[in-house]
Amino acid sequence: MINVLFFGPVAERLGASHLQVAFRAGMCVQDLRAQLQASHPEAFALVSLAAVDGEHVRDWSLALSDGSEVVFMSKFSGG
Amino acid sequence: MTADSKSPVRIQLEDFSQDEEIRALQASSTRMGGIATFLGCARDFSEGREVSTIRFDAYDRMALPEMQKLRDEAISRFGLLDARIVHRLGEVRAGDAIVFIATGAEHRAPALEACRWLIDELKQRVPIWKKETTPQGDAWVTPHP
Repeated sequence: MINVLFFGPVAERLGASHLQVAFRAGMCVQDLRAQLQASHPEAFALVSLAAVDGEHVRDWSLALSDGSEVVFMSKFSGG
Repeated sequence: MTADSKSPVRIQLEDFSQDEEIRALQASSTRMGGIATFLGCARDFSEGREVSTIRFDAYDRMALPEMQKLRDEAISRFGLLDARIVHRLGEVRAGDAIVFIATGAEHRAPALEACRWLIDELKQRVPIWKKETTPQGDAWVTPHP
């Protein structure tokens, strides 16, 4: 399974802070985004950043592993 | 998530003392000739609305490590002698302190440049979001340049 986390405005619009998605061999970050965006378009309209296992995603073609933790995030507003 | 109170990089619910942070920075090297600081505060007015409180959400697993990376990068990039970053979470009231950055170098220029760089990078790279409470309802803050 892929553990998908949401925070702040994305979590609020989605109505959840955590989802689990079945892992498929060869799956990348962009595949997961496209899958979730189809079912949650309003929340994903805010998404501009992602992280995998606590690291910023620079390349959305990054391959995922079974058990990966993925976060889809809106722009940050700390500080 | 929260490191010990002496750690130079911390995320914490409670308020912090700027004096203690500066003292700790200054104590790290007697070669320090310039210290620059940035204090970010909760404003009581935003986007045309009065703001009473701000609440934070953060991706804990990533926020503190990102802040630690920022400190390491700043020290290396600007040749700092030391740097400290403290960010609050939880709920703060208008006028309260949110974030404090202190940078120390042999001379003022790198300390000032690094302090500006750190707060700009923190806003871009550290996964923290803030939500303002206003009479018109709560609203997530849109990042400012």
